[in-house]
Amino acid sequence: MGSGRWSTDVYEAAARLRGDASAFGYSDSGARRVHPALDPFGVTARESRDSAEHPASLAIAVLFDVTGSMGSVPRTLQAKLPQLLGLLLRKGYAQHPQILFGAIGDATVDRAPLQIGQFESDNRMDGDLERILLEGGGGGQKTESYELAMYFMARHTAIDCWKKRRKRGYLFIVGDEMAYPNVKPREVSAWIGDELAEPIPLTTLTAELTRSWDAYYILPAGAAYAGDGQVLGFWRGLLGQNVIELADLDAVCETIALTVGLGEDAIDLDAGLADLADVGSAAGPAVADALAGLGAARGPLAIGAGPARALEASPRTTDNDKPAGNIRL
Amino acid sequence: MTEHVIVVDLGYGDAGKGGVVDWLCARSARSARSARSARSARPQDRKVTAVVRFNGGAQAAHHVAGPGGAVHAFAQFGSGTFTRGMRTFLSRFMLVDPLAMTAEADHLSKLKVPDPFGLVTVDRDALLTTPYHQAANRARETARRAARHGSCGMGIGETARYAADSPADAPRGGDCETRQILMRKLTLLRDRLAEETGFQRAGQPPPSVLADVYGAWARRVTLARDGHLAALLRQGPVVFEGAQGVLLDEWRGFHPYTTWSTTTFANALTLLAEAGARDGAIRLGVTRCYLTRHGPGPFVTEDTTLDLPEPHNGTGRWQGPFRTGHLDAVALRYAAQVAGGLDAVALTHLDVAWRHQGRLRLCREYTAGERRIQRLAPGPDRDLGHAERLTRMLLSARPVYDDAERIGAGDWPDAVAEIAGAPVTIRSHGPAAAHKTAAAHKTAAAHTTDARSRPPALAAPPR
Repeated sequence: MGSGRWSTDVYEAAARLRGDASAFGYSDSGARRVHPALDPFGVTARESRDSAEHPASLAIAVLFDVTGSMGSVPRTLQAKLPQLLGLLLRKGYAQHPQILFGAIGDATVDRAPLQIGQFESDNRMDGDLERILLEGGGGGQKTESYELAMYFMARHTAIDCWKKRRKRGYLFIVGDEMAYPNVKPREVSAWIGDELAEPIPLTTLTAELTRSWDAYYILPAGAAYAGDGQVLGFWRGLLGQNVIELADLDAVCETIALTVGLGEDAIDLDAGLADLADVGSAAGPAVADALAGLGAARGPLAIGAGPARALEASPRTTDNDKPAGNIRL
Repeated sequence: MTEHVIVVDLGYGDAGKGGVVDWLCARSARSARSARSARSARPQDRKVTAVVRFNGGAQAAHHVAGPGGAVHAFAQFGSGTFTRGMRTFLSRFMLVDPLAMTAEADHLSKLKVPDPFGLVTVDRDALLTTPYHQAANRARETARRAARHGSCGMGIGETARYAADSPADAPRGGDCETRQILMRKLTLLRDRLAEETGFQRAGQPPPSVLADVYGAWARRVTLARDGHLAALLRQGPVVFEGAQGVLLDEWRGFHPYTTWSTTTFANALTLLAEAGARDGAIRLGVTRCYLTRHGPGPFVTEDTTLDLPEPHNGTGRWQGPFRTGHLDAVALRYAAQVAGGLDAVALTHLDVAWRHQGRLRLCREYTAGERRIQRLAPGPDRDLGHAERLTRMLLSARPVYDDAERIGAGDWPDAVAEIAGAPVTIRSHGPAAAHKTAAAHKTAAAHTTDARSRPPALAAPPR
C-alpha cells in the first residue's frame, strides 16, 4: 500500500510539465501509432449527450485527412480548429455545440488510419487535437480510407440531437482525395473491432450516415488535389451540394461555423459574412466563395435519407485513369 | 452476467490488488481480440475501458510487472495502465497529488506508455494533496514520536482532515482551472496549517508557484464533467481499484491504527449507484495466503521468524517496518463481513506457499486472557469506541494454531473460500499477469483437486 515513492517537489514537477507541453506534443514526441485516447478500436460509441448544463446538445464532428497529399494542411488545422467553439458560441450560431475532432489516414498502408476524439462542450477537445498523430503516409492512388471514418460515424456515435430531437449532427470531412468504394470487413475488424459479414458499398453507407448526420466535404487549397475535378465530382456524387471548395485555409473555422449557422437558421449568408467583418476577420470573401453553393435555405430539421438521394442524378466521371475498382455510381 | 468488478484488499494492504487489476484488464483485452477473430460478441468478452480509483491517494503503491519485466508502483494511475488504451478515472473520493503524478507519469513514459496524462480524468471535486498538507503531516508525526499511527508522510490524513473541517476552503481538482480561486485556497491552507502545526512557511513553495504548476497539470489531464462515469460505464466494463485494505478502514479498521479513507466496497457502490448502473458489480476481495502489515498496529499472527521474500516493501521513514505473519482467519472473516460480503476472492502469493510448504500456518482462533476468540463482532456503524475496544483486545491476543491441521500449498484456495464465504476465482503465483489463472465461478467448488495435483504455473512467458 503506502509509500512516498513518487514524491517530488514543485520545481521538478514544473520542469516536467514544461518539457511536455509542445503544441503538437504527440506527433512531435516521435509517437508512431494512434494515441490511446483517440483509438477507435473497441469503442461502443462516441457520445454527444444532453446534460443539465447543455440541455440541447448539437453534435459537430470535424475529421481531417492527415496523409501526405495534404501537405502542411493538417498542421494548420491543428492550430486553427481550437477557435471553432468560441466562434460558434460568440455569434450564437449554436447554443450547445459539442465538438469532436478526428483524423483520417489510409487503412491500406497507414498505422493510424482512423483517430477519433470525444465530443466536448468546452476546450477539452483541444487536447484531442494535440494528440492527433500526423501520419504523412497514404497511398498514391488519390484514395484514402474516408469510408472507414464514415462507417465509424454512422455506427459508433450516439448523439442526442438526433436521438431525442430528430435533428442531425454536422459532420465535416476535410480532405483532398476519394474514398474507397467499399467498407472492407477486414479493415473494420482490424481498426474498429466489428465483424462484418460482407463489404458495405459506399453508397449504402452514405445513405445510412446521412440519416443522422449532415455530411460535408471540404477540399482546401494547399492540398495536392485542391480543385481536382475528379475528386470534387466523386464527393458531389455522394453528398450533393454539401461539397465545399475552400480557397483560404485560414478561413476553415469561419467556414465551418457559418455552415452550422446556416443549417441552424441562426443567420443567412449575408448576415454571417457581416458577422465575420464585425469580428475583424478577413476571411469573408473566401468564405463567401466557399459557401456560395450552400446559400439556399435548408431546414435544420430534416428527416429521410439525406443528400445521398442525389446519387441517382449525380454527374458521371468517365476518366480512364480512374483506379481500377473505384466507385461506379 | 454483470461486467464491472470492484477490487478491495481484505487485509492491511499489499495483498496484490495491482497485479489483479492488471490481469483483469489484460485478460479482457485479450479475449476481446480473440472474440473478434472468432466472430463472437459475448458481453464478457468486452474490453475493460477504464480503471476507477475510489479511495486513498498518492500513497498507494500497487506494484505491477509491465511488458519487458520493468516494475511500476501504481499510485495515481490505474494498475491496468500497461494494457493499451486503458484509461484512469480518479473519482471524487480520491485525494489527488498533482506533483507526485508528474513523477509517476514520467516513469510511465520511460516504460513506453504514450502520453500518460492523456489517460487520466480527474473529478473536479477530488481533493488535492499539497506540499502544505505534507509539511503539516510530518510536523504532527514528529511531535507524536513513538505513538505514530502508521502514516505514509504524504499528507493524506491532513488533506482529509482539512477538508472535513473546512470543505469549502479545501483545494480541489476543479479549482486548478481558475487561478484566483486556487491562489486564495492555497494561501489560506498554508497559513492555517503553518499556524496549527508549526512548520516553517519559508521552507515551502509559495502559493503562486504551486498555482502555476497545478494549472499546467490541469491542462494536461482531463477534468471530468458531470456524467463522466455514466459514460464510461456505457462504453464497457470498468474495474474499480481500491487502495489500502479493509482492516485499515477509517471506521471498521482497528482504531486508531487506520487510514483516512473508506476501504470497503462502499465508495465504489455509491459511484455505481449515482451513475445509474443497473447491473451492480462483482465484489472481489484480494488476500495473500499469509498476512502482512506495513507499520504499527494490531497483528496477532505476526511471526518474525518467517523469512518471506518482499521485493517492493521496506521500512519507510514515516510508515515503520514491513511485518509478516500467518493467515488470520478471524481477521479475514471480520474483513469479509464488514466489507458487506464478497462475490469472489483473488488469492495471491501462492508461489510463496509452494516454496515454503509447511511453514505457513492458519490461525483460526485467538486467546485473550481467559477468553478464546473465533470471531470479531462488528460494532454499530461509525462506532470508533467499539473499534478501539477491538484494538485493545487484539493487542493482547495470542494466536492459536492447530498442530493437527497441516495446510498444503494446494489447500489454500479451499480454506480461504470457506473463511471468506466466497469462491476463489483468481489464483496468483507471481507478480505478472502471466502468473495468474482464473477459475470460473460455477466450478469454484471443484477446482481444488486440480490445484492439489498440479504444481503452480511458474515462469509463464511474459506477455
